[in-house]
Amino acid sequence: MTAPTPGSSTGSGPGRVLVALYGVLAVAASFRSAVQVLRDFEDAPLAYSLSAVAAVVYVVATVALARGGSLRRLAWVAVGLELVGVVVVGSLSLASPGLFPDETVWSGFGSGYGYVPLVLPVLGLLWLRRTRPRTAVDAR
Amino acid sequence: MWSPLAWAVAAGSLALAGWAAWRALRDRPVILRQLLVGAGVEALLLVHVVVALVLSATGSPPADAPTFWGYLVTTLFVLPVAAAWAFAERTRWSSVVLLVAAVTVAFLQLRLVQVWSGS
Repeated sequence: MTAPTPGSSTGSGPGRVLVALYGVLAVAASFRSAVQVLRDFEDAPLAYSLSAVAAVVYVVATVALARGGSLRRLAWVAVGLELVGVVVVGSLSLASPGLFPDETVWSGFGSGYGYVPLVLPVLGLLWLRRTRPRTAVDAR
Repeated sequence: MWSPLAWAVAAGSLALAGWAAWRALRDRPVILRQLLVGAGVEALLLVHVVVALVLSATGSPPADAPTFWGYLVTTLFVLPVAAAWAFAERTRWSSVVLLVAAVTVAFLQLRLVQVWSGS
């Protein structure tokens, strides 16, 4: 039984699945936010602006995780932002629903997307830590 | 919309998902035969595009046209992109990628049916 090679690209091995999941979420969030911003922006400016920001962050995270290497730092930032976003917006959406009259990808901790937006950044951070170049000596 | 077509696509992609899951469990990568099944699903999706275009042109468009077409066009790209991404990796993880993509396509069929009828 061989351990996955540490310090390798973030986009291979299990990371390939992570990137695929991010890709799906990036497309879903971009698409939803495009419809919201282009068609109904006046209805819920805050929620729809957040949707757009979330979409951009997911696209950045997908690309940064897929490329790895020099984009690793960017991946940390994007994935970290997602975790902060889903926790903050998730809490706010439950505490004061009036702030978000319509769903965003982060509302209710991502319940509209099967809580994938909550789970994915945690997996992403763990994966980034695991593939850290410095851990190449001892992966365990 | 002729929803049996959407359900046929969903059934095909779920079958592909099951196959990919089975191969992932047995530590096997994606193989060419799976991509052929994926191509079959893609062919059904293209038929779906034609049917939806004809229905729209003959006076029964989807309830929410922009969303419907957005979903349908997105669906077309999911399997080819995922297949390319998965095939670059010759480990079990390629099978998991295909699994994710196939489940996504099946889910999108459900959304397509909902968006067409406006529910």
